[in-house]
Amino acid sequence: MTNPTARLAAKLHRRVCLVLTEDAVLAEELLARKKLASEVAGRLSERVLLIRPNRLDSVLDELKKMGHTPQVVARSPG
Amino acid sequence: MPPISETEEWSDRVREVLTRYPEPLLRLVAGRLIKPRLNQPIDELIEKSVSTLGNPPIVDRRIRELPPASRKAIALIGLSRQPRWKVGHLITALSALGHPEGFAPIEALLEAGLICPELSPHLTFPGEFAAWYGQAGTLTAMVFAHPGVASRARGEDLELPDLSDPEHETSHSFRSADGLEWPLRLAAVWQQVHAAPVRLTLASTLFKKDQSRLQVDEVLASPLADQLAPAPDGGILALYWARAAQLLEDADGELRASDFPTAWNTGLVAVLTQLVAALPHVETWDPLAGYAPSDNGLSPFPSASLLALLLCRKAAVVSPAAIATWLWEHHPSWAGTLPTSATPDRGAEWVHNFLLGLAFPLGLIESDGEYVRLSALGKHLLAGGPEPTAPPAFPQTLLVQPNAEVLAYRQGLTPALIGMLTRFARWKGIGPACTLELTPEQTYRGLESGLTLPMMMQTLNRHGTRPVPASVEDLLQRWSNKRERITVFSSAVLVEFPTPADLDAAVNRGVVSLRLTDRVGMTADGTEPGLSQLRLLANRDYESKPQRCVSVAEDGITLIVDAAQSDLLLEAEIGRFAEPAPYESPGVRRFRLSPPFLRRALEQGLTLGDIDMWFQERSGGPLSATGRLFLLGPKATAPTAENLLVVRLPSAELADGLMQWPDTRRLISERLGPTTLSIEPEALGPLKEVLAEVHVNLETAAQPGEILANNP
Repeated sequence: MTNPTARLAAKLHRRVCLVLTEDAVLAEELLARKKLASEVAGRLSERVLLIRPNRLDSVLDELKKMGHTPQVVARSPG
Repeated sequence: MPPISETEEWSDRVREVLTRYPEPLLRLVAGRLIKPRLNQPIDELIEKSVSTLGNPPIVDRRIRELPPASRKAIALIGLSRQPRWKVGHLITALSALGHPEGFAPIEALLEAGLICPELSPHLTFPGEFAAWYGQAGTLTAMVFAHPGVASRARGEDLELPDLSDPEHETSHSFRSADGLEWPLRLAAVWQQVHAAPVRLTLASTLFKKDQSRLQVDEVLASPLADQLAPAPDGGILALYWARAAQLLEDADGELRASDFPTAWNTGLVAVLTQLVAALPHVETWDPLAGYAPSDNGLSPFPSASLLALLLCRKAAVVSPAAIATWLWEHHPSWAGTLPTSATPDRGAEWVHNFLLGLAFPLGLIESDGEYVRLSALGKHLLAGGPEPTAPPAFPQTLLVQPNAEVLAYRQGLTPALIGMLTRFARWKGIGPACTLELTPEQTYRGLESGLTLPMMMQTLNRHGTRPVPASVEDLLQRWSNKRERITVFSSAVLVEFPTPADLDAAVNRGVVSLRLTDRVGMTADGTEPGLSQLRLLANRDYESKPQRCVSVAEDGITLIVDAAQSDLLLEAEIGRFAEPAPYESPGVRRFRLSPPFLRRALEQGLTLGDIDMWFQERSGGPLSATGRLFLLGPKATAPTAENLLVVRLPSAELADGLMQWPDTRRLISERLGPTTLSIEPEALGPLKEVLAEVHVNLETAAQPGEILANNP
């Protein structure tokens, strides 16, 4: 049984670039785009695509070419 | 007086420059500025010098002590409202004012501590100002004046003549512009740059494609609303002016949109003051030629345009031709840059275009179309007049039409509203009534700039003469929702927990709010969560080199992940060719290579080389033999199963002998191992006979198909 006040063991992954889609179908649609798929390092879950480091700009360009208007959450400190 | 925050910023700049002066020069400058009685420490001298610049009585005294040319130079800086000037432009303007002494008046100001050189962070200050001027380059060296000094110098007499034409003083009716024309055009160019940054050449000039685009753009190249004179290449002027006014910024060789300066939320006078102040930094535009980049000389525009405005100060009414004549006779370089077609009227058209095409729409002057005089704003900025009162406000000035077009009546526009509209509605026409268009792209850009849909709706409703039509509200809602479909986190912090139960606990405690996988979570905005409730096992930087964190079990199938060393890329990458194995113990993650997963990886474009490289990086060795069997087996020639007679020898030496002796070698099909050979069934008899010759007895073993060779 987990102690409800104990600190939770965790590992932090910093400076991660990822795409979060509204649903799994949209993620599939993105992965079906060859140029975009090549920038995807992997699929963390049905709706979450992990982008290769330093490939944000080309991902955004490609999303816009596909007619999407992604919400970009900018770089956070740390 | 300049705002306090601005003064502090300039004080910091002065402090930074003084810190870089060598001690003898600092003592010389501080000696003239603060006249210390004792041999004070350096730090104290710097602080006292900086604070003196904010002391009006002392500054006034120091200005009075300067030679006339230096007084005029600091007055020019003050009147221009631009603290940063190229030394070359100041020298040119001083020459026109009858002081052709070159760098000496500027050097006197530098030594008096009333202006500072802009020092390159990459170069050492050479120790004296003349050497610095040579080092920085006569075409590029810049100085700046603290606002506390510049503002005190505005009253100095520049000894400019009164060019009034009394005959026309009372016989003409003068009109003024609303001052919005250039703010609107600068906002429109900001919008275009926001959509697509403009790349610049190394010389900060435009590439042909952008130049042509700006020259024919339907909004930027359109005639001015109340045009008394043309502004050739007005789109390019707007671009460089917006850059000088800090609406655009240079980044990585291109111009990008910055946030609107705070003056845009202050009021029209503040914005116009800022635009006037930016003019000395517009060097690639000419009132006659339009776009006029120059890479081998100083543009006469900054000095000539300021002098042209200042020549209106004393005159009640003046003709552009009279100003042109004065410039023709006094400005050292202006006449030489005019085209030959401008020679007969001594550049009157240049001055006409500048005053009526640029200064009139800016609201600096009033005109009857032929003669000009300073407006209330012009008198405020250039002649020490009171700040003009703000025009009456008409907050309801927008009309949103069902086709998503917005009519904006100018009388109600303010810089703040222009700035707001620019962020989410596309400028379509700038005229007596302006038109904008609500589009999906521009709505998206507005949202990306930090606006929300309610903020856009509030702007349109608050300033609208009628409520926003429901159909337009629906459109905006739909465009806004579309943006919510995909969120890109450019640099998020993800939190990985050892078990799904831990992630549940973290969500319950509010440490993270988004579940990305069964064990990985994130805060809503991707920022670092509060660490007080976490015990960090490891910290991984996603942009650094991947670490070795996988070991392959003996079976060649099971991949064991070192949880402390692993990163998210591993989780994502490993899933391409292995499936997670059930949890066996906390903190130990196992995956299994499986033929379907490996086949799928190949179908998705990975090669054996890619997979080998991944295993090399993550485990230190290539793909296991089992993995290779899974991958290569299906593509290899089909293996065969057949009945063989196996000859088993008691030692490898005897097997070697059989392989080497030609009489036995020809009867052997294949060596299977160190002590085993295979033969065809029909070779059994001949082999027995040959071996019998050397007294080796070949026996049939208990196992079917296996034969033992023994010495007798």
